Amino acid sequence: MVGSLAQPTHLPPYFKLRKVSSKSAREREREPSLFAFAMVLLQPDPFLNELTSMYERTTERGSVWVTLKRSSMKSKAKRNKMTSAGETIEYRCLVRATDGKKTISTVLSAKDHLRFQASYATILKAHMSALKKRERRDKKKAGDGQTKQEDLKKPPKKSSS
Amino acid sequence: MVYISSWDEFAERSIQLFRADPQSSRYVMKYRHCDGKLVLKVTDNRECLKFKTDQAQDARKMEKLNNIFFTLMARGPDVDISEVSGKEQSEAQPTKKGRGRKQ
Repeated sequence: MVGSLAQPTHLPPYFKLRKVSSKSAREREREPSLFAFAMVLLQPDPFLNELTSMYERTTERGSVWVTLKRSSMKSKAKRNKMTSAGETIEYRCLVRATDGKKTISTVLSAKDHLRFQASYATILKAHMSALKKRERRDKKKAGDGQTKQEDLKKPPKKSSS
Repeated sequence: MVYISSWDEFAERSIQLFRADPQSSRYVMKYRHCDGKLVLKVTDNRECLKFKTDQAQDARKMEKLNNIFFTLMARGPDVDISEVSGKEQSEAQPTKKGRGRKQ
């Protein structure tokens, strides 16, 4: 991950030990590094770029997790203080993504979630190519019309629950 | 923890779960390309709902659920999601139920 040969002086000593180990780059990549615990908070657009490369890196092995959570990005103590002071806490949508080694995150406000979810959907569509298409090829591609056939296969169970 | 096999049930219950406790609920999507598997999880740390699939058509449904959760989380749990794209599967029913539980 640290590409340059020059020893970074600001890193703790145990980090230097890792750098001189005789393991191959591939082995080193597999073991959890210190970076796994450092979550990088990005702007929505760099986040999407990073997510894309995360999907590209994990095509042969590995998984990608994307988590959505409603969060105020404030500590519990701070929240308690704000509630007792009568302030309203602003919540946003926190999006986190990890491949098990690296974690990235971004925060979406009510203003930019629409744009984000459209780009996010495009990325997912482009990278989730390993999922199985339906067996039935009798239908033409026209709109990939999923609804009709599905409704026939499994009747809606709305009233049962 | 068991996987829920019906998509409609999963979608409905996960929205309910989120609305009951928006602050401690999260929605996780895991995709594993090499196995072609997709797992969705919604949990509030007490209850956990999961849905597993390898079908491309479910990814399309997931996209709609994604949009619902984006809207719910960015705009607040009380927002009306009936017009969020792809709401045609579970209509207004989960909306009503979620509200009922909240009160």
